Amino acid sequence: MDFLKLFACSREFRKTLEQNRARLYRVAYSWSHNPALADDLVQETLTKALTKAGQLRDPRARDAWLFSILANCYRDHFRRHREMDDIDDVELLHEATPESESSRHETIGQVRAAIVRLPEGQRQVITLVDLEGFSYSEVAHILAVPVGTVMSRLCRARSALRTLLCAGTQPQAVQGGHLRRVK
Amino acid sequence: MNEQKFSDEFLNAFVDEQLAAEEKSRAYQAIGADPALNQRVCELRKLRDLVRLAYQDPPAAPVPNLRTHRYRAGSVAALLLLTLGVTLGWLLHDPVAVPPVADAPAAAPLVTAAATALSPAAATRGRETKVLLHLNSGNRARMQEVLDEAELLLKHYRANRQIARVQIIVNGEGLNLLRADTSPYPERVSALLKRYDNLLLAACQNTIDRLKREQGLIARLLPGTVVVDSGVAQIILRQQQGWIYIQV
Repeated sequence: MDFLKLFACSREFRKTLEQNRARLYRVAYSWSHNPALADDLVQETLTKALTKAGQLRDPRARDAWLFSILANCYRDHFRRHREMDDIDDVELLHEATPESESSRHETIGQVRAAIVRLPEGQRQVITLVDLEGFSYSEVAHILAVPVGTVMSRLCRARSALRTLLCAGTQPQAVQGGHLRRVK
Repeated sequence: MNEQKFSDEFLNAFVDEQLAAEEKSRAYQAIGADPALNQRVCELRKLRDLVRLAYQDPPAAPVPNLRTHRYRAGSVAALLLLTLGVTLGWLLHDPVAVPPVADAPAAAPLVTAAATALSPAAATRGRETKVLLHLNSGNRARMQEVLDEAELLLKHYRANRQIARVQIIVNGEGLNLLRADTSPYPERVSALLKRYDNLLLAACQNTIDRLKREQGLIARLLPGTVVVDSGVAQIILRQQQGWIYIQV
């Protein structure tokens, strides 16, 4: 009976893992801005989650646990491939010039480009908070840093983003600038 | 004044709903009283929404990765099919090899079943050939021709161990071939049916109905023949199913 229960549990667990794939991918992409790498990271994360399923004591902490695995995978990846940074730069240039795309895509491209320019730690904090709605203490747990660091990084990330986005929109979209002033 | 009182950290925490209830109400009061503070909060909220918007639908994972997965799944499927094909081939080898006189009824359905169900495995051994012979003439010579044609085909395919199905469809005056009272070759028909179980003789119901209506005749058919609703519809259907159509 126990065995059967265990089996059912693991199947349930697999299903929830699969349901979280999109969320993990979104965050992995926001960190790496590289679809292939993001997909690999998510795959690695899910594999690790499956093998280490026993470590998860509290099911309510599952999300934070999954994302902490993702953060570890991401860190490990950069420990292994430092030279990959160059590829990220190339990607950034590609993403920063969405001139042919619609204005919504322009906004998206600008925000992504601004996020790419943030330092690694700030980028991770702001995406975890904004995209996944994790609390500061959860983010601190995921990234294994103190809560104070999370708060200061978030603060710096947002102010940098504000400067980058405001500086970025004005020369490109003159009309948008006018509108903002009228308001 | 308030701008000094509330740090950026505090405002961020406010925007992210990270404050305790007491602090939160304090913040609401201050924000309500101070437009500048209000604007800072709005900006922070806007930044948060922008980040959310930017990653609402991230670009899909690249195809190469998917392709490797698909390739893996495909190779597993191919391996399974190959195994199945080899097993079936092994199992079917004997019945087919035996000169098919007595064993034919037992072996041939298996062969056709294999051909329809396991097309990849069967495809390597030759695809099923389907021939439809159409007779709409009461001419005795034509009748003999259609039976000769069918027998030659069946003999040829059996000799080559090719999977084949032959159907003779009769309508109009051709119906006479299959009517028990008018058929010139009843023994030959029954012999053919006995020898080749992949031969089907079909008569057109419309023709039978017309015969009854116009001449008051109730057509009794030879044993082993089948009736289809409409000969023409059957011909069209078979052609759509990839049968080769030959009008005799």
